[in-house]
Amino acid sequence: MRKKTFAAAALLAAASLTLTACGSGDDTGSPVSVVSEDSANTKAAIVLDKPFEKPDLVLTDTNGKKYDLREQTKGRPTLIYFGYTNCPDVCPTTMSNIAVAKSKLPKAQQDELRVVFVTTDPDRDTPKALGKWLKGIDSQVVGLTGDFATIQAGARTLGITIEAPHKDKNGKIVSTHGTQVVAFSPKTDGGYVLYTEDATVDDYIKDLPKLVKGETP
Amino acid sequence: MRRTAALLGVALTGTLLLAGCGSSDDEAADLSVSGAYMPQPVSDSMAAGFLTVTNKGGTKDELTSVTSDLGEVTMHETVDAAMQETKRLDVPAHGQLVFKSGGTHLMFEKLKHQPKQGETVSVELHFADSDPVTVEMPVKSATYTPKTGH
Repeated sequence: MRKKTFAAAALLAAASLTLTACGSGDDTGSPVSVVSEDSANTKAAIVLDKPFEKPDLVLTDTNGKKYDLREQTKGRPTLIYFGYTNCPDVCPTTMSNIAVAKSKLPKAQQDELRVVFVTTDPDRDTPKALGKWLKGIDSQVVGLTGDFATIQAGARTLGITIEAPHKDKNGKIVSTHGTQVVAFSPKTDGGYVLYTEDATVDDYIKDLPKLVKGETP
Repeated sequence: MRRTAALLGVALTGTLLLAGCGSSDDEAADLSVSGAYMPQPVSDSMAAGFLTVTNKGGTKDELTSVTSDLGEVTMHETVDAAMQETKRLDVPAHGQLVFKSGGTHLMFEKLKHQPKQGETVSVELHFADSDPVTVEMPVKSATYTPKTGH
């Protein structure tokens, strides 16, 4: 396996060299402009012409307390994602991407930002189970659970479709997660930017400083 | 039986030369594994793993099970944002079986410990026809995404 790792590294190096070669054709471009071109090409944010209203969700947080989403995130930059903790792939990656990007913000902005994880599998994701899972990501994340129909209706107002967990033929529970993260502006409380699951940690690192100010990334 | 994919490839090539068989369509499956990684899991209950199985041979094979010292491993496909367990996955002739985030992935459960970035997890792939292949899967950061090149 070691050899393969080196081979992969060599390929990557070759790719980098190719990129460098492409860039060096134009000697007038400063490194700074090259970087901004690059990031424009890989833009992950989908900016909405017509922002979503924040869903009217009143659920239970990881302390077992009532959490009114509209009331408690009013005037705060807010990111909302629908997922479940028995999800090995997309859900932890999405939440970790956001958590790492958040950790790069100044402390005051980190405290200002609300990252809300709403479970799509409330039977298994009790407040305690959610709390344990989120502690492994970022203890400031708000984890919400409650009645599935309420959660599903809330997700639907953001164009996110989730199905009720059901058992497959082997008796294993199949749950669905949302495919996008919605960012809400602290200025308008409108959901104005979407991120699909293709968004990387670098995309969030680049965009969060703007999102916390309600600016368009 | 622990044998690396590379050795397997050499052995198969040797056999083919002796048999004097030139047609690529008659080749047996010739498997190798690349790009394996596990994002550092956020809890001790569950983890995901990704890799690519490449088949240079002219015969398809099937991945039938995956085992690991770390815990129970199952194969899942993601369909409409829901995971579905699958028992067999095709490794097409002259093709690839690709596990990647958001698509087909390995799911590790009942973990013996919570793997940390920098560790490696030993995983054995079992196929319908080919010999098992052992993969040392590196644990990457929770936010790792493989560079795909252009």
